Amino acid sequence: MEYLIHIIIIAGIYIILSLSLNIIVGYTGLAALGHISFAAIGAYTSSLLALNFGVSPWIGLIFGAIFASIVGLIVGFPSLRIKGDYLALATFGLGIIIYSIARNWVSLTRGPMGLPGIPQFSIFGYEISSVWSYLILVLIFVIITYFVIRNITNSPFGRVLKGIREDEIATAAMGKNVNKYKIIVFVVGAFFAGIAGSLYAHYITFIDPSSFTVMESIVVLLMVVFGGMGSLAGSFIGASVLVIFPELLRFLGMPSSIAAPLRQMIYGLLLIVLMIWRPQGLIGRFRFKKT
Amino acid sequence: MIQQLILSGIIAGSIYALIAIGFTIIYRTIKFFNFAHGVVYAAGAYLAYALFFLLKLNPILSFFLSLAMAALLGIAIDRLAYRPLRKHNAPSLIYLIASFGVFIFIQNLIQLIFGAQILTLRTGPVKEGYNILGAVITNIQVLIIGVSLILFFLGWLFILKTKLGKAIRAVSDDPVGARVVGINSERIILVAFAIGSALAGAAGILISLETNIEPTMGLNAILKGIIASIVGGVGNIPGALFGGLFLGLAENLGIWKIQAGWKDTIAFVILIIFLLLRPSGIMGVKTEKEKI
Repeated sequence: MEYLIHIIIIAGIYIILSLSLNIIVGYTGLAALGHISFAAIGAYTSSLLALNFGVSPWIGLIFGAIFASIVGLIVGFPSLRIKGDYLALATFGLGIIIYSIARNWVSLTRGPMGLPGIPQFSIFGYEISSVWSYLILVLIFVIITYFVIRNITNSPFGRVLKGIREDEIATAAMGKNVNKYKIIVFVVGAFFAGIAGSLYAHYITFIDPSSFTVMESIVVLLMVVFGGMGSLAGSFIGASVLVIFPELLRFLGMPSSIAAPLRQMIYGLLLIVLMIWRPQGLIGRFRFKKT
Repeated sequence: MIQQLILSGIIAGSIYALIAIGFTIIYRTIKFFNFAHGVVYAAGAYLAYALFFLLKLNPILSFFLSLAMAALLGIAIDRLAYRPLRKHNAPSLIYLIASFGVFIFIQNLIQLIFGAQILTLRTGPVKEGYNILGAVITNIQVLIIGVSLILFFLGWLFILKTKLGKAIRAVSDDPVGARVVGINSERIILVAFAIGSALAGAAGILISLETNIEPTMGLNAILKGIIASIVGGVGNIPGALFGGLFLGLAENLGIWKIQAGWKDTIAFVILIIFLLLRPSGIMGVKTEKEKI
């Protein structure tokens, strides 16, 4: 039972990541392939603050999210100049740069050795260490993320985002400052990804760069595309199915040396099949168009 | 020290150039960043390993058989993953994501078959090298530089001089016009995939004579190949050579003063700088900029 709850917690963290990537990719149509690096920044910021300065994980989480959104601001700038495949490549490259900082700046991040012993959240002196209490915590954050992103996407602001996605030039011609919107979208997406990273760090209590590889960004993208581009319910479906389903392989009694690559192969195959038959995802509304 | 770094840069650069030319030949016909090219590179190394160590074939035969199989793999990838997309007239981002799917699928297939551990194509102990202008170079390194440059120029000659190469350029410049004059673009795409993938396989085998092979080796390779292409100008073959050598030298000279672990960071900083300031690359046509 505890294991099942653990899987649901992980799914919840991926739901936050998928929702926050969906607003960039699905709603605004910007090809961002480095999303996990924002989670890495959130995770490392709040872990390092807690380990080195004894900062409470709650404050660390906020700082992590803010720092991630500052980096989101920086990553957002290329999106003003470059589009489509080239933007995908630039964000992918930035993701690798952030990964390699986590790996190589050993004096700060301890590199591949990782950071052990990250403290857990506590509330009124009660430590949130059981999976049940952590589940409640993660669900609260999932709900907050969902409502904030839903309100953004259902507002006039969100309609501008869809305008940029459907026809950027027409949106600019309507007098909308397209650049401002793109940057804000990256900042918001990075903010929630930073929260997801921090939640992960204080839950597992150990992080190392291997949790934040670029392939992990592709998996989050797969969750968004699988569930549905530009559909928040789709992100719930995509993240849940893709986290929970591969666990079934484990129940079939496969050793992890087979189950791990098999799970990745399924992800790969799913990406190809989706692109061929349903590039907008299960219940999505948007597919990439010719530029 | 500096001489040795320049030599490492030239070795890395000639491999990058070889990856980049294969990538470029394919890019010319399909016009998207084919990440699966990297996994063909890894597959080349593993095929050579399987033929040479498991089937005990002669090394030269193993090399050429692996190239042929890499070519077939490239063709299979195009047929199974990209051709259905061409029927839908999909935008290039869809192809890009699908190519990640192909990449992840084959990389993990390799891991499933061969395991995640490091393997090697080396047989004997490393022999002492020659001293050239203060840098030590081994036989294997001479072979790597030599063969990759020969293959690069063969690939270039193929595009410049042969009928098929001209057809590839025709499909690249004007797909509709090429069809009007009776060029079967599907067949040309197949040829491009076969040649490009064989060159990627060759690069994978050559580098494995010097370093270890592991299933994940393809990602770094294709990224470096793409960066080399962008530095030189995407789609431009002499640009691929220039970009490859530039990148190899920049990475290796960059770690003169800082730790070797930062090599990749240098490469990606170069990528971002080029994407922001000169996306058409050094030798690319300026008007490319309008398209992106």
